[in-house]
Amino acid sequence: MSNLAIRTEGLTKIYKGELGQKSIVGLEDLNLEVFEGEVFAFLGPNGAGKTTTIKLLTRLIYPTKGKVWILGRQNTTRLSMEKVGYLPEQPQLYGYLTGGEFLDFLSRIFGLDSEVRKRRTAELLDRVGLGRQKDLLIRNYSRGMMQRLGLAQALINDPSLLILDEPMASLDPIGRKDFRDLILELKRQGKTIFFSSHILSDAEMIADRVGILNHGRQVSVGRLGDLVSSQVTSVEVTFVLDPTKLSQSDLGTKDVVVQAEKVLVHLREEEEVPDFLKRIERWGGRVVSVVPQRKSLEEVFMAEIGR
Amino acid sequence: MRIAFVAWNTFKETVRNRVMVNILIFAVGLILLSLVVGDWSLGHQVKVIKDFGLSAMSIFGLLIAIFIGIRLMVQELEQRTIYVIASKPIYRWEIVVGKYIGLGVTLAVNVVLMSLALWGADLIMEGKMDLGLVPAILLIYVEILLIVGFALFFSSFAAPTLSALLTLAVFIIGHLSEFLREYVQLYPDKGFHWLLKCLYYVVPNLEKLNLKMAVVEQIERPPHAVSYGFLYGVAYITLLLFLTAAVFAKKDFK
Repeated sequence: MSNLAIRTEGLTKIYKGELGQKSIVGLEDLNLEVFEGEVFAFLGPNGAGKTTTIKLLTRLIYPTKGKVWILGRQNTTRLSMEKVGYLPEQPQLYGYLTGGEFLDFLSRIFGLDSEVRKRRTAELLDRVGLGRQKDLLIRNYSRGMMQRLGLAQALINDPSLLILDEPMASLDPIGRKDFRDLILELKRQGKTIFFSSHILSDAEMIADRVGILNHGRQVSVGRLGDLVSSQVTSVEVTFVLDPTKLSQSDLGTKDVVVQAEKVLVHLREEEEVPDFLKRIERWGGRVVSVVPQRKSLEEVFMAEIGR
Repeated sequence: MRIAFVAWNTFKETVRNRVMVNILIFAVGLILLSLVVGDWSLGHQVKVIKDFGLSAMSIFGLLIAIFIGIRLMVQELEQRTIYVIASKPIYRWEIVVGKYIGLGVTLAVNVVLMSLALWGADLIMEGKMDLGLVPAILLIYVEILLIVGFALFFSSFAAPTLSALLTLAVFIIGHLSEFLREYVQLYPDKGFHWLLKCLYYVVPNLEKLNLKMAVVEQIERPPHAVSYGFLYGVAYITLLLFLTAAVFAKKDFK
């Protein structure tokens, strides 16, 4: 268990209904393992149970059943959060403090000494691009600035494990790019990153492994490569052919794009490729490329949650 | 130490709260206005100023206790700022106690400022500052702290409006405690007898913390009235903090 950053066992959360309302299953029997040093993306549509899972990991809510281990320690103790950084979804921070005061306050909670506090606060504010706004009251921050400060507070204790809830939701494209770079840099430093997202392209770019959640149940988990590349959905064949010979070819109803001499054909089955290459040779054409089209994460995601 | 950091942060929050500053300015202004009111009461100016000033201190302290005390907890929960702090390596009871102490310090500053205003008015009228008011002021402060304790406790599980109403009810019933006891003794067979008896035992007797009349009229106080009132208040506050921390510790921050 020592190389597991997060482990859950039968984790279940049922929200009791108030005054005659039905109880709601927020999460059901989640058995999750996140290894140290990996970037794990937790995906799912709204209401799938992603935030419930994260709140259970960070002790903001208590499980109805099941257990959580964080960095090898059961998360029932205060100390289990010592090496954890957490960014809530759309973080709300103390508006009456300045960015600098806020980070200083939290670093005191972690027991950092004065010198480290000052250095880390300044470094983190610069790192998230808020160095010049450190004396501005948080209530005057924009949503994007709040998200950046939220990320800075999650890093104030130099955590081994980062738990981020929809971290890219409020960021503009540049902010998202910066964020992805930061995640990869943190991964290089050996940190574990667990984040939830509904932006699949971002997850596809940075995650080592992915878990897909739907209706409170985990429906799929695996390495990103295994999930998306093992399934070839179509093959793209590009070849050069004299336009006069094009009419003599029997391309039929195939998905074809013609640009001058260049012809691009989408074959729906991988098995069709050898036969199709022979036909190109027969027509007097020259093959430029044969590119298998893999299933994208989005397609995997849609297939899983559509079950 | 974590309690001290939360307390310091809460102190900053309340000091930067415009509502509280406005209430405080209004209270100090009203106490100074007692100079004018005192002028209308022939021969009793000094007594009126002291009575008016101490009452204003009590009422405005109550207002700040209810509004800020409830807001303090409700804001954390409704605006979800609690997510960031509660996910750090800190016990939830430390958050409760830290917030309470922070607000307590703010209220102490308020009471000191209101007292200075009262003594300023006294100095103008009497040519001296009556330090005999100190026991009454001390117990007013304990009463305010007690009301904050109730506000914090109610707001840990009830909606803000309900919390405010319940806290206000405690203040009113607490000052009518003696009447409750007498009523129960006079009419022991009434249907709601058990309810009144229950209220009498659960709600603190706030008149034990009321020395306003005694210091203004310079009536002899019962022996140990100040120390008894102080300990009585502290015991209730400890119990309330314990209950609030227990509710908070079990709470799901949805």
